[in-house]
Amino acid sequence: MITFLKKISWYYKKHKFKFIIILVSAIILNLLEIMPPLIIGKTIDFITTETLTVTLMRNILLLFSVVIISIYMLTFLSIYYISQSGYHIDAILRKRLVKKYLAMSPSFYERNSSGDLMARITNDLRSVTMGTTAGIVTILDTLIYGTIILITMMVVVNPVLTIIALLPLPLLIVTEVKIGRKIMDHHMTAQEAFGKMNNNVLEVVEGVRVTRSYVQENEEYNDFKAMTSNYIERVMKVVRLEALFEPVTTLIVASSFIISFAAGAYFIQNDIVTLGEFITFNIYLNMMIWPMFAFGMMLDITERGRASLNRIEDVLYETDDVLLSDGAVKNNDVSFKNYSFTYPTSTRDNLRGIDLELKKGQTLGIVGKTGSGKTTFIKQFLKYYTEGNGSFIIDGKPIKDISKEELRDLIGYVPQENFLFSKTVRENILFGKENATDEELQATIENSALINDLNNMSDGLETKVGEKGVALSGGQKQRISIARSLIKNPEILILDDALSAVDANTEAHIIDALKRTRKDKTTIIITHRLSAVEHADQIIVIDDGEIVQSGTHDELTQKDGWYKTQHEYFKHGGETIEPN
Amino acid sequence: MGVRRLNQIKRLYEFTIGQRSLLVFGALLSLIAVGLNLFGPFILKIILDNYLVKDNIVVKGIVIMLLVYLLVEITNGLVAYYSKIITLKAGSKVIQNIRLKVFRHIQKLPVRYFDNLPAGKVVARITNDTETILTVFTQVLSQLITSGFTIIGVVIASFIVNVYAGLLMLLILPVLFLWLYLYRKASNKYNMIKREKNSEMNASINESISGMSVIQAFNNEDKVFNEFLKLNEDYYESSVRLSRLNSLTNTNLIESLKSVVLMFLIFVFSYMFLFQNTTWSIGSMYLMIDYAGKIMMPLYGIIGVFDVIEQARVATNKVYELLDEEEEKEDTGELKIFNGNIEFKDVNFSYVKGHPVLNDINFKVNQNETLALVGHTGSGKSSIINLLMRFYDPDSGEILFDGVDTKTINKQSMRKHMAIVLQDPYIYNGTLLYNIRLGNENITEEEATDALISVGGEMILKRFKNGIHEELIESGSTLSLGERQLISFARALAFKPTLLILDEATSNVDSETEQLVQRAMKIVSSNRTTVIIAHRLSTIQHADQILLLDKGNIVESGNHQTLIAEDGKYKEMYYKQVMKK
Repeated sequence: MITFLKKISWYYKKHKFKFIIILVSAIILNLLEIMPPLIIGKTIDFITTETLTVTLMRNILLLFSVVIISIYMLTFLSIYYISQSGYHIDAILRKRLVKKYLAMSPSFYERNSSGDLMARITNDLRSVTMGTTAGIVTILDTLIYGTIILITMMVVVNPVLTIIALLPLPLLIVTEVKIGRKIMDHHMTAQEAFGKMNNNVLEVVEGVRVTRSYVQENEEYNDFKAMTSNYIERVMKVVRLEALFEPVTTLIVASSFIISFAAGAYFIQNDIVTLGEFITFNIYLNMMIWPMFAFGMMLDITERGRASLNRIEDVLYETDDVLLSDGAVKNNDVSFKNYSFTYPTSTRDNLRGIDLELKKGQTLGIVGKTGSGKTTFIKQFLKYYTEGNGSFIIDGKPIKDISKEELRDLIGYVPQENFLFSKTVRENILFGKENATDEELQATIENSALINDLNNMSDGLETKVGEKGVALSGGQKQRISIARSLIKNPEILILDDALSAVDANTEAHIIDALKRTRKDKTTIIITHRLSAVEHADQIIVIDDGEIVQSGTHDELTQKDGWYKTQHEYFKHGGETIEPN
Repeated sequence: MGVRRLNQIKRLYEFTIGQRSLLVFGALLSLIAVGLNLFGPFILKIILDNYLVKDNIVVKGIVIMLLVYLLVEITNGLVAYYSKIITLKAGSKVIQNIRLKVFRHIQKLPVRYFDNLPAGKVVARITNDTETILTVFTQVLSQLITSGFTIIGVVIASFIVNVYAGLLMLLILPVLFLWLYLYRKASNKYNMIKREKNSEMNASINESISGMSVIQAFNNEDKVFNEFLKLNEDYYESSVRLSRLNSLTNTNLIESLKSVVLMFLIFVFSYMFLFQNTTWSIGSMYLMIDYAGKIMMPLYGIIGVFDVIEQARVATNKVYELLDEEEEKEDTGELKIFNGNIEFKDVNFSYVKGHPVLNDINFKVNQNETLALVGHTGSGKSSIINLLMRFYDPDSGEILFDGVDTKTINKQSMRKHMAIVLQDPYIYNGTLLYNIRLGNENITEEEATDALISVGGEMILKRFKNGIHEELIESGSTLSLGERQLISFARALAFKPTLLILDEATSNVDSETEQLVQRAMKIVSSNRTTVIIAHRLSTIQHADQILLLDKGNIVESGNHQTLIAEDGKYKEMYYKQVMKK
């Protein structure tokens, strides 16, 4: 609890005003809370001793009203400021996290799965907010409210009676903590079972064609039935424990009252306590139940909040390994000399001895087997990782002297996995260049062979795509991501196997457009289909991180090697020649 | 609106069939528990009035009554506990029924339904939405029953103690209900806004994380961050607005109301003493003070369940929407023996009315022959497969299996003779063995292994430590596309279909994978009728029949040699693709 408070103290140090309001209103409020039972007890005493007068009654009722109104207003103040601050902390932490996420390089995303990062910004943040809102309330209720009532009971009624009557109540704390922990454990296993069931249903829906083709409906149904039964069983374990709270609480509280009445009889008999005071006492006893519960909750909530805050801070304090620099580039001749590169998580070089000259306006084709290092090679241009050894120069400047932003302004990158945002087609394309004119947009659509697709979409350019929108084919997604890069009209355009899902005609259309529109700009194309790079000024074949062949299409088809074998293989329909 | 809500409740009620007696029993127990709960303080009143009288304390009476009190409280606890458990148990059974019913239902929905809706949405109906309805039974039902009984019980008990006290409690009720009504209205609205803002914001963050490489590659971090800031601010504001409402009206107001009731009680005590000369017994005063607390107690529980009820209502709607989707009708004809002769007669088909995708398709494939379908994207190849598998049915025309119109045959009995290899092979989480034979235990482990080896998947077996029992995770993401296709081929082979349907993958694979797949295709298609969608013309040179489709029409047909000789579109395509240069 203390650590948690320390960890969020920065906020209240900054907003001292809120801190004071919360603390002061809580103290006054809780002092007022002891008034109603006192008033009731006194009135009862006045009635039983027959000393009540009309004026007295009027004053009592007046006082009571004032107390009620003050309590209402003070409670509002303290609760409102606590939750407002809690949500403010929540917003600030979320802002910091998102800022961090946006600034981090791919190696960060390799270390942390996206599910995990998302969990920190949702679940963990929720636990922290629980701590800063409900947590603080329970702290105040336990420490201030509980203590004040306890002292009042002792001072106003009787200390001995107070202590013995309260004896069973700490059991409430034990119950809360013990059962609470157990519930948490069972809850976790129930969540796991739910996750399993969810995945199962996802498979059922995604694999609907397979299931139906192979007539597996009954087997599938039985699997699902078993899984839901298993899940429901686990849920029942949780709720059964939750149901236990009530009888246990009832019993503990009842024993407190039994002690109170048994002992009370003695104190009343001996004139130590009046009947009115005794009634007051029992009302206080009822009021003590909540702080006991709150104590257990407080321990739990702040502990979870602390753990979550730790996880959030872990991410916030992670440092990025890509160093910043602020050099700029104008021209963009590219040159690699004896360049090598190793991924942070890899034990061997992933690129070795790369030598390459690429002049402005040239087109470079990159081919090679899956996993040979083609994508690793072009990632060097994006500065996702700290640069490797050897020299990699753009416009006469080593890459490490060029800022990330500058570099990325220069480059348009179409990745293998085409990612679209849950927005309209137009917004997705304009992501590449926000202030593009209509002419530019139309030309881009034409060049990326999207016209027919857009005509077939209900809302054309305004059609929503992605998770919440219409389902697009792989080819359509690829072409929209190509359009996104084309509209940027970057100095260096990189297509990373970005034509894999389009048919031969469409590919030809796009390649033609590239040849036309990118005469004096550099283009790099990675592909499995040789037809996409035949026109390139230079083609390199990468194998196991090295350039094993390079030249133009004509040169390469004359030389024995991987390129020629591939070419012959596909040329003859893939059957007459056996590649190695 | 009112009628609809009533309808929802009626349908929810229908699902309780089989559990109703349990639910009633649970409610009955809850009634007893409430009675005992109100009886407890009554014993204390007796003690105060009869035995704890100053200067006349009856120790024996006090001890006996306290023992009775203990007994009552213990019984109260036990009965309350079991009433809750019984309600929960019945409730969980109800949800189980709904879930299974929804599951069965989606199994019978036409494939069309799944083609038009993202998978995540369908999944949410079956799991998340039913889960939300479950909370009605775990959190709401017993809460509402107990609360209702308690409120009514307190009023009745108060009347028994004293008419004025009873009237006072009765007067509180309208105030309580008014407050409940207003609070529910306001809090539902604010809660909904907050929830919407939250899911909108999280969806956007999630998307930014998945698309981080694109955002960074386009240097658009600031743009994305500013969009996020707006959502973050909106969420914060909606949270604060809800907090303001809650700190004004929630527990704070209940507490104050409770104090107001106490104040009125004090007034009643004093007024009667001063002006009617009646003094309440100390026990009665104590009892009424206790009851004043008890009538307010349920409110704490009830305000907590408003949001749950509202969410459950929305979820119920969604689930019923799904249940109202029309199931496919089950044809009764059986296809016991199938030799593999198929024929399309004047088949017309469209996914959306007025947009035909197949026009007057006629062809015939004999037993053990291979038919290849070629054509550009959107030419209608996949639609033919959809019709063959009966994922969809034609608008007009007939599809004949061994001369029988398939419209009359039960779909499942047809599919038992067929197998399909999809473009993007689907791999389940489960062992390799499971992925080959699925749930069909008639296929032995040996047969499955043989199938995998014969399609050339031996290297997959060798690569895995556990061989055929290796668990494949994350939809087979650890496997290459080629490997996934081989597993899918092995699956098709193991089921020994009479009719095999192959949808060739469009994406370009390297020559190694290509060769593997080609070889596997040849093996699985031998000795059975085969329909292939081919994207590479090189694959189908040996097909008995090739149909060239264009915009839903068959424009050329024949075998490779005759089509080349014809000097038409096929030849053009072939040369463009294969003999390029």
